[in-house]
Amino acid sequence: MHLSSIPLVFAQMTSADDIVREAARLQRNYEFLSYGLTIAWVILVIYVLLMVSRERKLKREIASLKAMIEDRRKS
Amino acid sequence: MNDRSVWGDYILYLLGAGAILILARDINVIARLPNEAQQGAIFKIIFFHVPVAITAMMAAAVALVASVLFLVTRDFRYDALAVAVTEVGLAFLAANLITGSIWGRIIWGQWWAWDARLTSALVCWILYAAYLMLRRAVEEPTQRATFAAVWSIFSFIDVPIVIFSIKWWRTQHPQPVFWGGGSFPPDWLAVFLWNMLAMVLLAAVMTVVRLRQEDAQRELDSLRRTAHAM
Repeated sequence: MHLSSIPLVFAQMTSADDIVREAARLQRNYEFLSYGLTIAWVILVIYVLLMVSRERKLKREIASLKAMIEDRRKS
Repeated sequence: MNDRSVWGDYILYLLGAGAILILARDINVIARLPNEAQQGAIFKIIFFHVPVAITAMMAAAVALVASVLFLVTRDFRYDALAVAVTEVGLAFLAANLITGSIWGRIIWGQWWAWDARLTSALVCWILYAAYLMLRRAVEEPTQRATFAAVWSIFSFIDVPIVIFSIKWWRTQHPQPVFWGGGSFPPDWLAVFLWNMLAMVLLAAVMTVVRLRQEDAQRELDSLRRTAHAM
């Protein structure tokens, strides 16, 4: 794999149009890279939030059932 | 809550925070790496696309082992592990499919191609989503765990197809960088491996959290039965 820096890419350009086109391509690449990374993180964060909400619901239900059983035992 | 449980929580949150810190640090490092010569900046999506895929495949393997162990021992802890790891793996596989689609849009000019790798990965996601739906459909716990274990074992058949599809058939998806003749610069490899470690760690922490929820669900079921019997 060959790596090149942005200035090197521009140095090989022949016309102003090429430079504009290459700059647009780079911009689009960065845009889509940021979409990709954002979406990957958003999916994981949504999943974590779902887990947190499920945990709260479980704890609430367990506490209410325990209280109900305790009440029934007393009465 | 006893001391052991409190310490367990601390260790768990510490590992989770560690994984997030590594990932945050890596985003900074990745942003400063030079662009790849042919694909440009979008190639850097490999630092997430591949680790989430490997993590999802590892989750599927753990689910397979847990399902087999459940069928052999009838111990519900293995069933809980299978469902926990499957759910986490599904989230990672979704991230893999979507990052791959975004990568494909730039490189191939299309969001999706029905080639062997992409299709088998999508089928894999659907199979494991069906596993979770199956669990919701069966009420009786032993029957639910048994059916789910069998389905999980059946679903795993697709995992080697996903992994080796790019070797077995000509696909639009490229050959793998690491075992397909490509090479990774050493400084890129180090970042990749750190990201890989962080993803696996994150998945492990999520699985343990989800496993605890399964324990809580069992406690809830038992309390419901007690309340019903009173």
